[in-house]
Amino acid sequence: MTRWPRIGWKTRLSLTSWILGTVTVIFLTYQWLPIFTLGLLSFSGPTGGTTFPMNGTSFHWYQEVWRATVMNDFKPPLMRSTLLAAACSLTTIVLSVMAAQAMRGQFRGNSWFFYLMLLGIMAPGILVGFGFAIMMRILGVELSWDTTTFLVQVSWTLPFGFLTMLAVFNRFDTRVEEAALTLGASRLKTFRRITLPLVLPGVIGAGLFGFSLSYDEYARSMFTTGPDTTLPLAVMAQLDRQLTPEIYAIGTTTTLFSLIAVTLCTAGLWAMRRSTSLRRS
Amino acid sequence: MSTIRVRSAASYWLAVPAAAWMLGVVVVPIVLLVWVSLWGGRAFSTASPLTIDNYIRFFSNQTYLKLVGTTLVHTATLMAVTGVLGYCIAYFLTMKVKSPLWRTVLFLAFIVPFWTSTLIRAIAWVPFLGVNGVINQTLMFVGATQSPIEAFLYSRTGITMAQVSLYTMMAAGPVVYMLNSIAPQLREAAMTLKAPPLTVFWRIVFPLTLPGVVIGQVLVFLNVMSDFATVATIGGNKHALLSNLVLLFYEGSQIRAASVVAVLLMVCMLIGVVVALRVVDIRRLGADR
Amino acid sequence: MDTLTAKVDDPAAPVTVRPQLDLELRGVRKRYGDFVAVDGVSLKVEKGQFVCLLGPSGCGKTTTLRCIAGLEEPDDGGILIGGKEVTRDPPWERDIAMMFQDFALFPHMTVAKQVGFGLEMLKKPKSEIASRVKHVLKSFEIASLADRKPGSLSGGQRQRVALARAMITEPRILLLDEPIGALDYSLRETVMLELKLLQQRTGISFIWVTHDQNEAFSLGDLVVVMNHARIEQQGPPEEILQRPGTAFVAGFVQGNNVFRGRVAEIADGHVRIETPVGPFFVPFTGAAPVAGGEASFSVRAELITDAPSERHGNRVTARCTAVEYFGSVRRHIFERPDGEVLKYDQFGAHAARIAIGQTAELGWQKEDCVLHGRVQR
Repeated sequence: MTRWPRIGWKTRLSLTSWILGTVTVIFLTYQWLPIFTLGLLSFSGPTGGTTFPMNGTSFHWYQEVWRATVMNDFKPPLMRSTLLAAACSLTTIVLSVMAAQAMRGQFRGNSWFFYLMLLGIMAPGILVGFGFAIMMRILGVELSWDTTTFLVQVSWTLPFGFLTMLAVFNRFDTRVEEAALTLGASRLKTFRRITLPLVLPGVIGAGLFGFSLSYDEYARSMFTTGPDTTLPLAVMAQLDRQLTPEIYAIGTTTTLFSLIAVTLCTAGLWAMRRSTSLRRS
Repeated sequence: MSTIRVRSAASYWLAVPAAAWMLGVVVVPIVLLVWVSLWGGRAFSTASPLTIDNYIRFFSNQTYLKLVGTTLVHTATLMAVTGVLGYCIAYFLTMKVKSPLWRTVLFLAFIVPFWTSTLIRAIAWVPFLGVNGVINQTLMFVGATQSPIEAFLYSRTGITMAQVSLYTMMAAGPVVYMLNSIAPQLREAAMTLKAPPLTVFWRIVFPLTLPGVVIGQVLVFLNVMSDFATVATIGGNKHALLSNLVLLFYEGSQIRAASVVAVLLMVCMLIGVVVALRVVDIRRLGADR
Repeated sequence: MDTLTAKVDDPAAPVTVRPQLDLELRGVRKRYGDFVAVDGVSLKVEKGQFVCLLGPSGCGKTTTLRCIAGLEEPDDGGILIGGKEVTRDPPWERDIAMMFQDFALFPHMTVAKQVGFGLEMLKKPKSEIASRVKHVLKSFEIASLADRKPGSLSGGQRQRVALARAMITEPRILLLDEPIGALDYSLRETVMLELKLLQQRTGISFIWVTHDQNEAFSLGDLVVVMNHARIEQQGPPEEILQRPGTAFVAGFVQGNNVFRGRVAEIADGHVRIETPVGPFFVPFTGAAPVAGGEASFSVRAELITDAPSERHGNRVTARCTAVEYFGSVRRHIFERPDGEVLKYDQFGAHAARIAIGQTAELGWQKEDCVLHGRVQR
């Protein structure tokens, strides 16, 4: 009756795990290696080029970026991009909280509204940017980074903020609002005193998301920015002229900033999840 | 009951600013492109007569037609590669990694680059692909080749390599979401009904994740079709896809031609999305669960 | 049960024909890290038996069921289905079917497709699948739902579909994990009766996991009470209700009063057990307990009287704190001097005699006490 001991089927299935795991690890390496190389090469010595060997290590290229004047001066574009991203982020926060709150009100045509927002994500930047530039030309509006680019970039960051806020409100326990309302608070007061503090980490997350999207935006800005460019445009222009390790230095800095933003964002959402789950238990 | 009354006027007005913004900046300009593409004459004038000459001129040019074909083939290649790769990774991360810590670590390693600048990530491929680039240096060091291979930078291969690293996450994301929404009991139920693992996958898991696969494919399709920046960065001036043509005409002040290509791009994308929606009804996602 | 109809695999087997068991567990053990989920569970299920695994949540009953199904691999011990060793066999090679708590219907398949899935896996010809599905749907009274998807079905309909899907392959054993837990309360009685009749008609062994003792005692031919990964007691429902083997079983089964104390004296077939509320006399059979050792016993609430006479050798005085009227019985909750609860059931048709707050002397016959043994392994 006893048979030769067989390997359990769950153990046998782990072969698939190994294959898929190998694929995943190879892809992750593939995905990260260029980013790390970029970071590494940005520290190459003064005589180093855009590829290996590095000819020593130094902060030379970071200093170059800092010292540069006129032609390849990245400081003004950096300033503009930062200001623009901050403005887009704030606008996104306000409008997306309003829009998500409106969705909870299930107004007539809310599904159309949802698709309109989705369109903002789906529509390619090149079409939106090009079309908007033509519209401005027809209307006779001068292109500028702080007006037209701002308008276009918000149309890019807003849908993401909106979806984030929808997700946040979906997880939100409306019973706490009901409790406040039954205690005699007005709707507006309940929103300000109960709802907003509870979803605040999500709001901050949406804001950081918007900041990062605007800061890295390229296609839309290319058509709608006037003579004063934003950082991605300046980088692209420099790349057109010549690839130098300075671009690596800027890229590394930008990537680091993005990573910090992501970390803050994740931490915020995690904190919110923790605080709401504490409330539930 | 919540802080907003259902179907109240307030909810309507709260949505107005966002709706107006999106209409004015996204919908109107895109519709405008269709109009401009039909302009006759040469001057930039809203009074231009309407004609389809611009389209005729475009389609009678062999080079442009070939470019449309190249763009579609390139996009299809990327959809296939990122689709398979993304599904494998999504399946591994959601179904096979048991330890919560490792799962979080791998997930973050997978999605974090997606949050950084696409432009920078595309540029990061340049030192890799060049004649003296990392890949060639490695190949020559290992002895796989005597002289550097020039096929990487300024080539479709190089563009594809970079775009695979940029867009696999888009193909995988929706699949991860769908895989997570499959109750483990479904697979177990199939097993107790005598289905071996591979059958369980093809009959239960894959059909249930199909909406995610399709959405991922749509995302990759839309992004690759319109990604002129990566093509420009890695392909240099040697390679162009449809979206680069828009830019090329625009910079040459050929607004009409640029509009024609833009409209063409738009039509391709619309067809893609509509075909996808015929396979999967996005609105009914999650309705049966 | 008719053991003569049991199949015998080997015609050249020894003359002592052993009736074939549908299922046998031999010391099955399963742990997750440091947590022991199933600890040496042994069980024999005869042909066509209705077995209920009963216990509180986390007692290991579901893990035991999953081990039988093959969804979990035991660390130790053996599992035999129909006399065949299957311990390391995957689920799809075992002669079982399973019904899940939330039914686990495939959301993308129509009812007909779903029910035919098992036959499809057995590589039956299409025409046979179609006709058998039709027949089964009809006999489960869900023929009208054949083209619907699970999303549009009610709880009761889903339950029928899940059952049809599991039964169509005619397995040797059907495993049911809290199969009616997801149903409305009003539906449960009917469904329970239907399932019992189905089991008797088909002669398939049912292994039914539940935490509801009403289900277990009204359905099971064999009830297996589990606690802390082990089997506490197994036997027919009457035996478990009337002669609980351990203090846990006595406490878990409704209507028992459990007393704990020390064995003080053993004389003429009785032990005297000293408890915080006084001495009690408890009969014992078999080996005598050790004097001075810990012991526990129980007495059923309906065997207690509020007017003890000569015959009632065990007595306790307590204060009534609550009275619940169930129609057939009137249950009195008493607080014993040591703070524990004592339940006394009076026949419901009789007039109430004890009011809340009243102190009364309660008594019962020595023979009504059940002395608990050690945990069965």
